[in-house]
Amino acid sequence: MKKNKVLLVGWDSADWKIIDKLMANGLMPAIKSIVENGVRGKLATIDPPLSPMLWTSMATGVRPFDHGVLGFVEPDGKGGVRPVSSYSRKVKAIWNMLSIEGYKSNIVGWWPSNPVESINGCMVSNLFHQEKVGKDIVEIDEWKIAEGSVYPERIIEKIKDLRVHPFEITGNLIMPFVPQAVALDKKQDKRLNVIAKLLAHATTVHATATELITSEPWDFTAVYHDAMDHFSHAFMKYHPPQMKGISDEAYDLFKDVVIGAYVYHDMMLDRLLKLVDDDTTVMVISDHGFHSDHLRPTHVPQVPSGPAIEHAPYGIIAIKGPGIKKGESIYGSSILDITPTLLSLYDLPVGRDMAGKPLVDIYENEKEIKYIDSWENRKESGGEIVIPKEHDTDLNDTALQQLIDLGYIEDLNAPHQEAEDYLKGIINENSFYLAKSYSTAAKYEEALEILLEIENKAKPDFRILIEIINCSVKTKRFKLAEEYLTFVRKNKLMNDGYINVLESKVQLGLNNPKIAHKLLQNALNENPDAIEILLDMGRLLNAMMDSNASIKSFELIINKDPQNPYAYHGIGMAYFQLGQYDEAISYFLDAIDRLYHYPLAHFHLGEAFALMKMYEPAIKSFEVVETMTQNIPKVYRWLLDLYEILENQEKIDRYRKLVDYFSRGQRKIITGLATEKVEHFVKDLRESGKTVTGFNKHLYDFSIDLSSPNWLHQLDSDFVFIPLNYLKSQNGFNSYQIYFLENTEEEAMKYIHKLNRIKERTIDIGLLDDLKNQLLVANSWISQQPNIDLIRC
Amino acid sequence: MSKKHVIKNQKGENYIVPPGGSLGLLALGNVGVRAWKKAKKEWEETQNPKLEKE
Repeated sequence: MKKNKVLLVGWDSADWKIIDKLMANGLMPAIKSIVENGVRGKLATIDPPLSPMLWTSMATGVRPFDHGVLGFVEPDGKGGVRPVSSYSRKVKAIWNMLSIEGYKSNIVGWWPSNPVESINGCMVSNLFHQEKVGKDIVEIDEWKIAEGSVYPERIIEKIKDLRVHPFEITGNLIMPFVPQAVALDKKQDKRLNVIAKLLAHATTVHATATELITSEPWDFTAVYHDAMDHFSHAFMKYHPPQMKGISDEAYDLFKDVVIGAYVYHDMMLDRLLKLVDDDTTVMVISDHGFHSDHLRPTHVPQVPSGPAIEHAPYGIIAIKGPGIKKGESIYGSSILDITPTLLSLYDLPVGRDMAGKPLVDIYENEKEIKYIDSWENRKESGGEIVIPKEHDTDLNDTALQQLIDLGYIEDLNAPHQEAEDYLKGIINENSFYLAKSYSTAAKYEEALEILLEIENKAKPDFRILIEIINCSVKTKRFKLAEEYLTFVRKNKLMNDGYINVLESKVQLGLNNPKIAHKLLQNALNENPDAIEILLDMGRLLNAMMDSNASIKSFELIINKDPQNPYAYHGIGMAYFQLGQYDEAISYFLDAIDRLYHYPLAHFHLGEAFALMKMYEPAIKSFEVVETMTQNIPKVYRWLLDLYEILENQEKIDRYRKLVDYFSRGQRKIITGLATEKVEHFVKDLRESGKTVTGFNKHLYDFSIDLSSPNWLHQLDSDFVFIPLNYLKSQNGFNSYQIYFLENTEEEAMKYIHKLNRIKERTIDIGLLDDLKNQLLVANSWISQQPNIDLIRC
Repeated sequence: MSKKHVIKNQKGENYIVPPGGSLGLLALGNVGVRAWKKAKKEWEETQNPKLEKE
């Protein structure tokens, strides 16, 4: 039986924003043909968005903390460093899995894939096309093929003449990128040399791939191009519209370079499409996008991996082939889904230990997915690393130099660098990326442990300190967060505005919204145009139920960035809290229109529809959330409630199972404004033999350590008293039976006055307003939850 | 004069390979790179025959 082939083309940093414009103008017909005859979607990246980590996640289906490739360089075990290599990868890649199953692969240029592996097929590494030795470019006649860059050796003979050296690139070839190149002195203007180098690299990779496709038997070919990313880092600042600070002369000269790079990649893709038959599935992917519009940063931070600030969070995916839908879009894809999807194309089992999922929405007909516990349990050899006979120092220096040129790592030969410090710095840097990888996967405890280990107060790194504070807040270690905030503030490691933003998060976690608000206001006074701070402010105002002020804050963002989906979502939330669900729906739809892969916006849209008793669209919204993330258990509760209303027994059974799966049981909560009535209610319960926790001597003497993570789950009492203003911190894992004791603000004020020995008849208008607001917030929140049984007493 | 190198382009038409190359030629991959290198080499020999003999 004929086996279907798969051609996978990787374009580092390709972004739909540019591709869509070029397709509309007829300049990228090859990718357009895939989009029209297949499916397209955004491919969510993972943090940190650094290419070797991302492309390894794509090739393995697991996150960096599982695959082991961390950053751009790694210790070489001899006291030095080398470019990140195949040695670092701890798990099988797709080409190993296919080899085990008897499929033949051609792998060209994958980052990192040096040294090559003895797979069933051919492998040409990402160092095959490097022409530098250290800082120097070697002459064409002296350009050797590096040991460890080609497998099997027999193919060297047929691909060695396909390498293109940057010195061979002529004016004819540069002109499409820089029409006025003739007027420039190539020796003086290094930017033309950059174009020559990137063009040579891309051409070598492509020529090698076409040679292997046409002369070797294969079932899977993967071709990876890094040139699009490097073109973008070097020339996106000249891309239209003209950025502030870019001279007219430079803009006129280089404004077409990025477009040229995209068009050239499409021309290469066109050739590949002509070399494969209709039974071949073709997939084009990128690991992240690249800001090409008003979101382009005005400067790149001078820290390792600083250029990654230019990366956008969504790459591309386009697939066509037999059994693949035509002309449709897919949603909710992540770079982690590539290997599971490739396995499904070959009807091979997906590892249950993979972080990604097969993209079943690409298939015309329902696809049965097979699973195994782990590909790591398969003991057959899927290819071993071909260890070079001699340590090739030149090759390592070459690749390291390329990373220095790109600004991703510091120069080892810089005068202030000692080798030992440099190595330590590299290890710390990789540990930082490991921690980021953990925190991205919501494994904040693991991240914090690493961060605290690498943090060095004698040599503070603001990125590590920020991450420590963020992870401390996430794990509710507010004292730790405050300790680091004090250190940062005392040593003036960041500007006050940013410190205020961080501190506001801590204060919010400590349930001090007014202090958080003041801090954010201070930050905004210093940075009135900072969109991130305005977003934080809008969200905080929403949390404080100050919907009108919140709307104003989000509107300021929309004035500056009309495409900002989070601002529309924020306004939607403000109207949602006001109970104006039709307005809320309109804004949630605006948010989704700008960013479809936005689970929270779909979720709130579903809630708004449900509260308006529009059950069908509510179900549709929640089911979209379900395809995007499995981490919002409340979605299942809503779907269960809605299907119960619609009496769909099959769905009720399905969602009942899911709710039970996620459920951590029911908690009984007593709440209400603190009054003597509440104290008496608790006293009666205790006298009847029930245990009640939450306070000691009086209702404001809390016995719960709210700074402890998952504090609610640690309580094993029959009831727990939770003050009204803490109610919103409950989550969707539990269901709640809430005994809401009805009291007036006046009674609550009387209780507080009694505790503080203030005369009974004293009236505090501010306090009354505050208590009234607490009631309003709590009642509004309770009315919007699917997992609460409310008993008013 | 060096002889003109001709290859088929992606539309199947005859295409004269310029010694300076073209993006269309490089985009053909292995076939294009080889044809270009050959044409370039012969052009360089024509331009500087003495150097080649030395």
